[in-house]
Amino acid sequence: MGLLTILKKVKQKERELRLLVLGLDNAGKTTIVKKFNGEDIDTIAPTLGFNIKTLEYKEYKLNLWDIGGQTSLRSYWRNYFEQTDGLIWVVDSADKRRLLDCKAELEKLLVEERLAGASLLVFANKQDIVGALSPEEIQQVLGLDAITRRHWCICSCSAVTGEGLVAGVDWMVADIASRIFLYD
Amino acid sequence: MPAEDSRFTAADVLRFTAPTEGYLCPLSANRYGIRFNSFKVRDVDSNAALFEVRAPPASDDEQIIVDDLTPEQEVQIRSIRYQFPSTVLSLKRIGTTLEFSIGPEPLNTFRMIERHYFREMLIRSYDFDFGFCIPNSTNTWEAIYDIPTLDPAIQRDMVANPYMAKSDSFYFVNDELVMHNKAEYSYFDEAAAT
Repeated sequence: MGLLTILKKVKQKERELRLLVLGLDNAGKTTIVKKFNGEDIDTIAPTLGFNIKTLEYKEYKLNLWDIGGQTSLRSYWRNYFEQTDGLIWVVDSADKRRLLDCKAELEKLLVEERLAGASLLVFANKQDIVGALSPEEIQQVLGLDAITRRHWCICSCSAVTGEGLVAGVDWMVADIASRIFLYD
Repeated sequence: MPAEDSRFTAADVLRFTAPTEGYLCPLSANRYGIRFNSFKVRDVDSNAALFEVRAPPASDDEQIIVDDLTPEQEVQIRSIRYQFPSTVLSLKRIGTTLEFSIGPEPLNTFRMIERHYFREMLIRSYDFDFGFCIPNSTNTWEAIYDIPTLDPAIQRDMVANPYMAKSDSFYFVNDELVMHNKAEYSYFDEAAAT
C-alpha cells in the first residue's frame, strides 16, 4: 500500500517537497537547517515549537520543518507527519548515553503509517567532536540495516563546519524525485 | 463592526486586487494569543541583515490595552512602515523571517496570506499554511526566494514614490480571519540620503 501511495503522488503543478527534520533535543536540527541556509549559528536556543524554511533548491521548492525535540514536544511530532516526502533524523553522534533513546524514538516514527512513504536520511551529526561515533557505528546501533521497505541513507556531517550537509540533502532530494516525479 | 461582516475567508482575500479600506477583523478576533515577536530580512548570499524589527517583550496588561484603544492607536499597532535601501530592489535572493508565539491553546490550522501591491496593482501574493501550532510555542518561518526582477522603470517609480508599495497580511485559524495587519514600503537611495 505504501508503494501505491508513492506512485500516485504526482505533483505536476509544483515540484514542492516537504522534509521533516526530527531528532532528540540538542541533536543539532536547527543548526543543520541554519547552516545549510548560510545563517549565523553562534547562538541557537532550544526550539520550543517549529522552524520552517522555504527555499528553492535545484529545481525544487523545499519546505524544511524542524520541530523541537524536547521530551514534552515529541508528542506533537505526529501533527506534522501528513504529506511528508522525506524524514531527516538527526543524531548527536557524541551523545552515547542517549543513543538507545534515539533508536527508540526513530523506531516509533518508522511504524507511522503517515510516514510510510517517506525516504529516510539519518544525519550522524557532530562528527567534529572528538570521540563521536562513526556513521557505521550509528548505523549499527540504530539497526538501520533492518529497514527494507523504505529508501534510507546515513550521512556523516558536522552542522558546525557544514561538512556533509549538502551531500545528505542532495541524496534526499534525488531519492524523492526519482520516486515522485517519475511521470514527468 | 458586526460579527457577520467580519467573516472573511482565505478564498475571499485571495481574490483581492487592491489594498483593503481599513481592517477586516477587529483586534479582538485574535483569541489565540498569537503574537509577532520579530521580522527580519536578510540578503541570503551575504547573510547581511537588511532589516530587523523586534517587538518589546509581552506584558501582562497587553490585553487590557487592546480593549481600550483609540482608532489612531489601533492603526499604529496594526500597521508598519518599512524603509529599505533601494539596493534591496536589485538583490537576487532574500530571506524573510517571521517569529511568532502562540497562546495556551493549540492551533489546528494556521495560515498566512500576504498580498503586495504597488499603485493599487497586485505585484506579489504569498500563501503559507503553517498547519498545526503547538500550545505556548515560539515558531519561526523563513521564506527564501529569488526576487523577481522588477522592471527598472518600476524600480525608479517605487523609489520616487515612498509608501505607494503596500501590503495586507491576513492570518487565519481554521479558516477564520483572526488577524489583519498592513504595511507600507519606501525605498531610499543611499547616495541621496544625507
